[in-house]
Amino acid sequence: MANVWKDPTGTLLDGRAPREVKTGDYKDPRQIWEETRQYKVPTYKVGRLRYYHKWRGHNDKLWHRLRYWPTRRRVLQIRGEYNPKTLAREKTIVDKRPIWWAMGLVGLAMGPLLFPESMQGSLFSAVSTFFIYAAINLCWMLIIGTASIFSMASYAVVGAAAYGTTYAAIQMGLPWYVLPFLGCFIGLVFGLLIAIPATRLDGFYYSLLTLGVVELCRVYVLQSKELGSATGGLYGAPPYAPDTIPEYSRLLLSYYACFILMLLALALYRFVDGKRLGRILRMAPEKREAFAEATGVDYRRARIMVFLISSVALGFIGGFYATHFRGASPNLFTFDTVLLSLSMLVIGGLGRAEGAVIGTLIVVLIDRVLIDLGPLRLVLIGTLMLFVVLFLRGGLFGIKPQFRAWRDKKKSEARSTRAEKGGEMLPEESTEHPNKDEVYFRRFDKNQREYLKTLITPELIEEFKQRPVGQHSEALERLLNYFRRQPQNDKYAVMVVEQFKAYRIVALSGVRGVAPRLVEDKIYPSIEEAYKGVFLRRVQDLLEA
Amino acid sequence: MAEIKLFGYANKISVKPGEEITFHVNADGTDTANAQLVRLIHGDHNPAGPGYIEEELGSAVNGTWKVKKQFTQVGSYLTVADPQGKLRLDGSFTLCAFIWAGKFGEGRRQAILGRWNMYKNEGYCLGINQRGLLEFWQGDGKEIDYLAAEVPLDPKVWYFVAVTFDASTGKATLHQMNVLNRYNSIWGKVVLESAAYDSHVQETLRFRAKNAPDIPFLLAGAEDWHELRGSFVSQTYNGKIDRPAVFNRVLSREELERLKTGGTAPDGVVAYWDTSKGYTDDGIGDTVHDVGPNKLDAQGVNRPVRAQTGYNWGGKNDCFRLNPAEYGGVEFHEDAMVDSKWEVTNRMTIPADLRSGAYAIRLRSGEGELGEEYIVFFVRAAKPKAPICFLVPTASYLAYANERLAFDAMIAQPITGQTPIISPIDVEVYQSREFGLSTYDSHSDGAGVCYSSYLRPVINMRPKYRIASMGIPWQFPADLSIIAWLEHMKYDYEILTDEDLDRDGLAAIRPYNVVVTGTHPEYYSEKMLDATEDYLAEGGRLIYMGGNGYYWNVAFRPEEPAIMEVRKLDSGMRAWQARPGEHYLQTTGQKSGLWKNLARPPQKLTGVGFISQGFEFSVPYRRMPDSWHRSVAWIMEGVEGEMIGDKGLAHGGAAGIEIDRYDLSLGTPPHAKIVASSGGHPDNYMLVCEEILYAHPGMYGTYDYRIRSDMVYFTTPKNGAVFSPASIAFGQALPINGFKNNVSTVMKNVLDAFSKPGKLPGGEWISDEKQWR
Repeated sequence: MANVWKDPTGTLLDGRAPREVKTGDYKDPRQIWEETRQYKVPTYKVGRLRYYHKWRGHNDKLWHRLRYWPTRRRVLQIRGEYNPKTLAREKTIVDKRPIWWAMGLVGLAMGPLLFPESMQGSLFSAVSTFFIYAAINLCWMLIIGTASIFSMASYAVVGAAAYGTTYAAIQMGLPWYVLPFLGCFIGLVFGLLIAIPATRLDGFYYSLLTLGVVELCRVYVLQSKELGSATGGLYGAPPYAPDTIPEYSRLLLSYYACFILMLLALALYRFVDGKRLGRILRMAPEKREAFAEATGVDYRRARIMVFLISSVALGFIGGFYATHFRGASPNLFTFDTVLLSLSMLVIGGLGRAEGAVIGTLIVVLIDRVLIDLGPLRLVLIGTLMLFVVLFLRGGLFGIKPQFRAWRDKKKSEARSTRAEKGGEMLPEESTEHPNKDEVYFRRFDKNQREYLKTLITPELIEEFKQRPVGQHSEALERLLNYFRRQPQNDKYAVMVVEQFKAYRIVALSGVRGVAPRLVEDKIYPSIEEAYKGVFLRRVQDLLEA
Repeated sequence: MAEIKLFGYANKISVKPGEEITFHVNADGTDTANAQLVRLIHGDHNPAGPGYIEEELGSAVNGTWKVKKQFTQVGSYLTVADPQGKLRLDGSFTLCAFIWAGKFGEGRRQAILGRWNMYKNEGYCLGINQRGLLEFWQGDGKEIDYLAAEVPLDPKVWYFVAVTFDASTGKATLHQMNVLNRYNSIWGKVVLESAAYDSHVQETLRFRAKNAPDIPFLLAGAEDWHELRGSFVSQTYNGKIDRPAVFNRVLSREELERLKTGGTAPDGVVAYWDTSKGYTDDGIGDTVHDVGPNKLDAQGVNRPVRAQTGYNWGGKNDCFRLNPAEYGGVEFHEDAMVDSKWEVTNRMTIPADLRSGAYAIRLRSGEGELGEEYIVFFVRAAKPKAPICFLVPTASYLAYANERLAFDAMIAQPITGQTPIISPIDVEVYQSREFGLSTYDSHSDGAGVCYSSYLRPVINMRPKYRIASMGIPWQFPADLSIIAWLEHMKYDYEILTDEDLDRDGLAAIRPYNVVVTGTHPEYYSEKMLDATEDYLAEGGRLIYMGGNGYYWNVAFRPEEPAIMEVRKLDSGMRAWQARPGEHYLQTTGQKSGLWKNLARPPQKLTGVGFISQGFEFSVPYRRMPDSWHRSVAWIMEGVEGEMIGDKGLAHGGAAGIEIDRYDLSLGTPPHAKIVASSGGHPDNYMLVCEEILYAHPGMYGTYDYRIRSDMVYFTTPKNGAVFSPASIAFGQALPINGFKNNVSTVMKNVLDAFSKPGKLPGGEWISDEKQWR
């Protein structure tokens, strides 16, 4: 190309002949605007109908907010906001779980009124069993979920307490109400014993150890005559529901006794998991202990504390178990009990109270209500567990966040396949952007870049190299003005290594107070060389974008 | 080993022999530094010039200094002295204020008013929480109880906010009420219905606050504590507060509504800070008056900005002088800083034999680049004796102090036409808020910075420094090129600073035959401008060595000369623009902005005024025909050819960077002569915006004839005269070729003539021109 650009600066002052520079063909910057008349990909309508209710704001009316006395907690966590589409005042209940809990617990409290008479017997016993299992699982969840101690010995603690209290009751003739408290003590001792290895062993090895303990207990009670190896369990503990009252009343009493047991377990869960101990431990989940420790969190102590508190509670449940079932059975120590209960936790989702309760409910329902299916129901539970383990990350209650994450993944996949636009926003992206000026900027920038790419020629690069700073041909000046006008984040700059001798290229952060980052190790011997380096990088970025 | 960093400042910028100056040093990674008093001669180590020159001097302060880590309080706020504990509100109370919040949320809590100790969780406070909701909180030393509004505040909208607490029931009620009008907020009425801004929430709190005796009552901040640092203020607020008040009872909704609409305060006032009280025609200070019974006046720290519009601004009055009641807005910024308040590291009494000049304490420790610091100060003559005065433009140094344009201003690269060249010290300053901002920066909420001070390390007021965005020495290090030339030419000169001129007026410069300015005396107070004008009117001579001079109207308080105020208004080449209604200086009550728009364009004083700026390359001047007139031809004596200054340390020429032009319509004296002009500026030189009515294509260097630097000469009454080379690059062209160049020749001709009392050369050639050719 023989095009020549003449530098006007020299002539103006002293009439020297203008400097001549080889330059590329003229290209019309408006052409791209003439040519670009629509998106190259199909565009779809966006916008989503609101099919659910949002509460209106209180505006100038006084809003009395209730708290759970005597705490600082409001009855519902509510977020007030302006709808970004209409600016209408709205309120959103951020956490609806209290509502579901209240509904579920009221339903369970009214359960006996709803049970059909024909199934009364089996339902009462099934739901009572569910309550006890749920209580045990909640305590276990504290150990696994909150304390991250993978103990399999929770049922063994319950069993030990049940056996111990029954034995003591038979030997000493204790009244029924002593048993749970005696159970607490047994639970504490048992808990202390199995807590010691927990300070030494990690995850999997500790699980194996505790399984060993369970098996030891099972073999012991099966062989010990004292503990009723002949009768298949040790019976004779005093019941809290005496035989003297009518059977329906007795069923009702044990139903509510078990219900209260579960409520107590829920309260314990809330107080351990939701307060200081739980928060400390949330900082120190598995594999991030080192970080927690570095920030001054004594997670080991907190874990052992939670473990011991849970063991005491499990002992209490063991004592209750003894007075509820009038004794203890080796079933508590069997491998299938442990596995069945583990499946309850896993199905519900580790680390949350509702996971423990709903998981228990599902498994107990399958186990007790679908009893006609026979052994098939165990297969059903196994399949369910397998499904949860394979496909769900946080059990049933993790489905919602998991679904959202999956949808976001799909969304970005879909967008990447539709992104022929070189940064120009499509309707689905634009609707999410709060600043519509940015939406236009992306369009302008895309056209600009497409045009500027056509200007880059060897002549142009040569022209820059000849004179990095100063008057330039129209093509180069356009390109440079584009580069200079870029937003600050990741914009190139030169960093002094030694003034007049050594320079480096860095990129600005665009964030106040954040230092620029080093782009490359290369040292440039002069500022002109560094400018050339910056220019070539910018050209390369433009061509690659 | 940690990198050693030394930073320091002096308590005074201008001292004379016999006066004491204190030095304040912060050190990281070391506890000793080696100090050396130096006289600064040349500040640019560019290999094209004479290089860096300093002169080590014997002094009692030389030697090893003990230095330590020092801390800086950043953020502006008001503090209330309350020795009787009237604000320890153990009973029922109401707190209220009008607020206009600039930037909030984003995970940071901000306090509006209260007695809150965030380290101990004690006291009470009304503020804005991390999610941008108005919130009241109180602590009993163990726990904190919170009461938040229903919807987030909108930024830059006026609200009336209040909280009432009933000690008998524990009920707290939070009120957020809309006071938006057509003028006062970012939006008008069309965005939300009026009630949609409001929120009124009531809850019963769990406990009473513990009002420990030692917690200070603060507005726009809260007390905090750190092991090494002790007490300081954090949770600082961004935005305006108007008429905050404290009552010792629960105000009813009706009473609050009346307060909201500007009614007088009902009974039970503990404190009512009438932020609109205390305005005079000459501005307002940092005290916010309590008009309640206890007179608990509040004192500003780090200069909260006043003379700002309040919640009730109606748009008609554009100055507090017209209706102070509409100017109750006090504006705070989390990153405002005007005084480091470091402890004294060392002090020095200026010896009687220290001649006037630019000096520094050079501190060194370790090998690293940040282990060297220059604490610069200027020594003026105890009694002026020399004929020549070099007037150091310290006001303009303040304006640019610690600017961060290369990092924060997207427009810096398009303006300068080059990629910034950043030094490690720039990064150091950028990473910390403790260095404060310049009047070229904005606060984090976007408001322009209107205060700057030298009571902090000013890293660009030190030798060797090069401004990152332009890649040249700027201001002080550039002005050292003039000092180096004066030294080299062995002139008898003395130094004055803008501070002296502002304080002493004409008396400061009257003893001198000629005043030589710095390369860029852009910021001028009225007193400085008046003194210069009076000086010329009574026969003084001025060499205006710079470009874009006498541009912004600024102000200093006589008792706090370290702090300068400027408001950048709707015109001029400006880094920011003051909001409508906020165009007047808090310090003096004058309108700020360009002197041109205050009817005193620089042309009236110097014959030239700002026309263009560009940074790609500088060019030479070429003699204009008038320079052959015998009245001025003596200026060109010894100049070979017509071209002047084709080399320079500021991008390679004597005319460039920022340049000024002759303009009769703006008051250039009619007898002024253009002795030389530059030309051939690249298109990076754009016409300044105050010259533009309608923008049109072609307002750049190679298109527009106005874009040039005019070397102008004219005489003033009583043998006075002005010589204006009118370019920033001019001074930095002096040291070229060992000070032997034609810029130096021209300068010498003028200075030789100007420094002698009596008649100026060429004064006889005044007759009508009756020429044969």
